[in-house]
Amino acid sequence: MHKILVWDWPVRIGHWMLVGAFALAWLSSESEAWRLVHACAGGTMAGVVIFRLFWGVVGTRHARFASFVRGPGAALAYVRGLATDSPPHVVGHNPAGGWAILALLGLTLLSAASGWFVYQDAGGTWAEDLHEGLSSMLLGMVLLHVAGVLLGSLAHRENLVHAMFSGFKQGPAHAAIATARPLPVLVLLGCAVLCAWWFAQ
Amino acid sequence: MKGTAIILLVLGTPLVQAATPGEILASYRAEATRVSPGYRPSVAQGAHLYGRQFGVSEKMPACSGCHTARPSQPGRHVVTDKAIKPLAPTANAERFTDPAKVEKWFRRNCTEVVGRECSAAEKADFMTFVMEGR
Repeated sequence: MHKILVWDWPVRIGHWMLVGAFALAWLSSESEAWRLVHACAGGTMAGVVIFRLFWGVVGTRHARFASFVRGPGAALAYVRGLATDSPPHVVGHNPAGGWAILALLGLTLLSAASGWFVYQDAGGTWAEDLHEGLSSMLLGMVLLHVAGVLLGSLAHRENLVHAMFSGFKQGPAHAAIATARPLPVLVLLGCAVLCAWWFAQ
Repeated sequence: MKGTAIILLVLGTPLVQAATPGEILASYRAEATRVSPGYRPSVAQGAHLYGRQFGVSEKMPACSGCHTARPSQPGRHVVTDKAIKPLAPTANAERFTDPAKVEKWFRRNCTEVVGRECSAAEKADFMTFVMEGR
């Protein structure tokens, strides 16, 4: 086992942009004075997720959906394995984490889309209630994701939060990605800014 | 499955809770009367609340800031510049027809503009003024 590069720059920057924007959106959700900021935060989240869907196809090895989307059976087996003496170690997203990623991406898109309708005053009470419901479900999913990360960190004695900053994890040398791909971050930022601007119109 | 159930629940809520502005006003009035038995809703008190410059929020000092001086007129959000449909039910039949929504927006807007939640008496006064359709 070596310290190898696993998470590229777009994955890491995108992740922490989502964290920041979601926190901002949640804190500003009850305020009219902060409504513009709230819409921009939602737009930023939508932009990051749209980029992530594209990056999940053309990105580096562990960023690709094909590398971490597994069936429900694999996810259950992984979770059961965590309770054993030799928990299964996965270099990228583990099979349970993969489902969390899909749920987080999907809920973020739906929450942002319903929020756009509220902001345009286009969906009435229906859109308002849907937006609140979806956003609460997203918060629940975030908490589950964080709990899973803490559990995984303990089971493998590896700081997974730190890995999302540094990009490095423990793993066999052949599992490393070759470069951290800094340049596509510009596309990610462009996408986020464009969506934030569009959401605020 | 659970998500679907929550969405269905959320979507079904407004249908269940339809009411008239008069019914919602009556329920606030009843609540206010329990607190102070001699209470009667007042247009003047409501107008005062509606136009008062609380100054708690720098950007949103008063209800009239976004909703204009006349509740029958369309308003404009002072931060987002988005149009706001008239508050008066005479000008906008959707207003004050869903008790949960009315309660939610009183809570949000009172907290931000007045700096605290409004009392049932204040809500009844406010509604009495707005329902005049000025």
